[in-house]
Amino acid sequence: MTVWRQAAFLLGFQLRDELRTGEVIAVVIPFGSIALLVIPMAVGIETTLLASIGPGMYWAVVLLFGVVVTQRRTATSNPSHRDALVLLGVDPAARFAATAAASALLLLLFEIGVGLVMIVLYDPVVAGWGWLALVLPLVAAGLAMLGTIAGSVTDGGGALAPLLVAPLAIPILLGAAQATEGLRLGTGILRWILVLALVDVVLALAGVLTARVLEESSR
Amino acid sequence: MVGGESSTTGDGNKSQFAIRNSQFARWRQVCSCRQRAAGSGKPDLFLPAAGGPLLLTLAAMPEDPIVAVEGIAVRRPGALILRDVSLQVLPGEAVGLFGANGSGKTTLLRVLATLTRPSSGGGTVLGAPLGTDAVERVRPRIALVAHDPALVANLTLGENLRLLALLAGRRVDDAARALEAVGLSGASGRRAAVCSNGMRRRAEFARVMLAEPDLLLLDEAHVGLDPAAGDLVARIVESVTGRGGGVVLVSHERERVGSLIDRSLTLADGRITEPGR
Amino acid sequence: MKRPIEIAAAGTMLTALVAGLAVPPDAVQGDVQRIMYVHVPSAWLAYLAFGVTLIASVAHLRTRDLRWDRRAGASAEIGVVFTGLALATGMLWGKPVWGVWWTWDARLVLTAAMFFVYLAYLALRRATDDPVIRGKRSAVFGIVAALQIPVVHFSVVWWRSLHQPPTILRPGEPQIDPPLLFALLMAVTAFTVLYAALLRRRVELAEAEDALLTTARIEEPVAGSAVVGPLSRGEGA
Repeated sequence: MTVWRQAAFLLGFQLRDELRTGEVIAVVIPFGSIALLVIPMAVGIETTLLASIGPGMYWAVVLLFGVVVTQRRTATSNPSHRDALVLLGVDPAARFAATAAASALLLLLFEIGVGLVMIVLYDPVVAGWGWLALVLPLVAAGLAMLGTIAGSVTDGGGALAPLLVAPLAIPILLGAAQATEGLRLGTGILRWILVLALVDVVLALAGVLTARVLEESSR
Repeated sequence: MVGGESSTTGDGNKSQFAIRNSQFARWRQVCSCRQRAAGSGKPDLFLPAAGGPLLLTLAAMPEDPIVAVEGIAVRRPGALILRDVSLQVLPGEAVGLFGANGSGKTTLLRVLATLTRPSSGGGTVLGAPLGTDAVERVRPRIALVAHDPALVANLTLGENLRLLALLAGRRVDDAARALEAVGLSGASGRRAAVCSNGMRRRAEFARVMLAEPDLLLLDEAHVGLDPAAGDLVARIVESVTGRGGGVVLVSHERERVGSLIDRSLTLADGRITEPGR
Repeated sequence: MKRPIEIAAAGTMLTALVAGLAVPPDAVQGDVQRIMYVHVPSAWLAYLAFGVTLIASVAHLRTRDLRWDRRAGASAEIGVVFTGLALATGMLWGKPVWGVWWTWDARLVLTAAMFFVYLAYLALRRATDDPVIRGKRSAVFGIVAALQIPVVHFSVVWWRSLHQPPTILRPGEPQIDPPLLFALLMAVTAFTVLYAALLRRRVELAEAEDALLTTARIEEPVAGSAVVGPLSRGEGA
């Protein structure tokens, strides 16, 4: 069986598992939304201020709270299940790809949900919807792969995974924020798209190439 | 022991001939059990395809040991788990492993399953040298039933088995057959999280049936099983050994497993201290 | 006992100190500019140390030799210290020059981010007792973490930050007078030798720490020997 088929099977069942748990929809999206709600309580509710900081705050929330999506319960299989997959000969790269893909889809859902909340609360000027349709998945993919790698090296361990992800995700944050600002100002954003794409490619390669090592280290 | 004769050499170990003899006797018994099962109409995933031969010949018996390890030590930071374990499991043999709590039985099973690398020592499992990449070739032929079931809590029993069947290259229907064989077809739609320990343990045996292993490792197999399901353990052990595979069975219940095993070993002070019977 | 590398480190540091104090001050910034002879080498060492962590991490994954893992961890520890020193001296330099302790320009922020990345790396190492598992996990994370270093450097050009443009590494002529450049290069050399000396000592300490955890002792009891039979009815309090 090819790695892709294995990944596809695992992805399907992971998404089914998450659908039943509902952790992202019922917990993480509301959590991110609450963050966007309390920020104006701290910085002020002036309309022009909120309109200017809204997109930036959005990306910060996506980064910090998106980590929670990648560390959800359904992303970490119990040790016995993991052992069973190892004995079945499931390629570790397939497991990484499936977990990262599931996290990416759920992060995209999170971005859209929290994005709608931000537009309502902050009323920013949003331009370049077409480009944003590219930026959102690139960000989701990068955060998902980072979170999956962090989850693997920490074996799903508590606060350590977010600490590993957050500073490494800063290039993703900067790329997304600069691209959004560039779209608003009408300046070129191609370099930021390339930054996001480059980070995604590097993380994908790193995740696939180190998957076997990380699987050994979890036993 | 099930049927057969035994003779021992001066050092208390069975001779190869004696082991072969008892294994052939076991085959004859397994084959007759299979004939009865085929006649009863009950599904058995270890049955050959319809019309295939039921009687296996001695010449088809694999020659190399299923497990042959020597000097195995496992060390964790600040703790020595296994000191010097040497163990052999021959084709068609079921070995019982006993020992006190904390003696390292589960760790030894994980070493034999190639899931834990020994700190020192070596040997082969299904012909693959331990601690090398070669073990990846033989892993699909190994099944481990551990303390905790290998089930995803929020998936149903049926979904769990279907996932494992697909990853094992089996048909999706085989998952349903396996659940039926262990008496769980009626609970196929129930989430694993709400099933009892015994039900989850039965689902584990369904998983073993899908794997059709040549080396079966059972860690406290009877825990949580009712008497009817206890017979299931015997059938699975006989199925594996009858096909020339090996079984290592960890248990605290010597009386319950005594009839299933050919030899019993005890793990103490990080070593196997009672080879043979 | 002092080794040649440690004697060399002491000697070059002393020379760099003398050079840094002896050269004339900057025409515009005055004596406060001398912080540069600590700040710039610290930043250089931060990059060097993390580069060594990357190389050692890759080597560990290829060879599974724990010596490479110890080098990676030791180098990261030294890197964190010098990144912190670079940030602190940068703040001390920035306050009189820019009027603020901290500016939110890209390179400062990303240097701070690098600091936190390697704090996280060290936290990951501390979270794992088993040297073999620690080595694998740290190596993977060390490689991923080091990949952001080029982004730190080129962010200066891309984001047109307030931070002083890189005077040595920018394409074209460096914008620093020869005497100051000499003192700076002396300082960079001294810090590099110091790094090598610290790395060697720290690796030796790590070897001793791992040996304490993993070396078998004669007739060491197995972990299971701590388990004895429970008290029977009537025994105990």
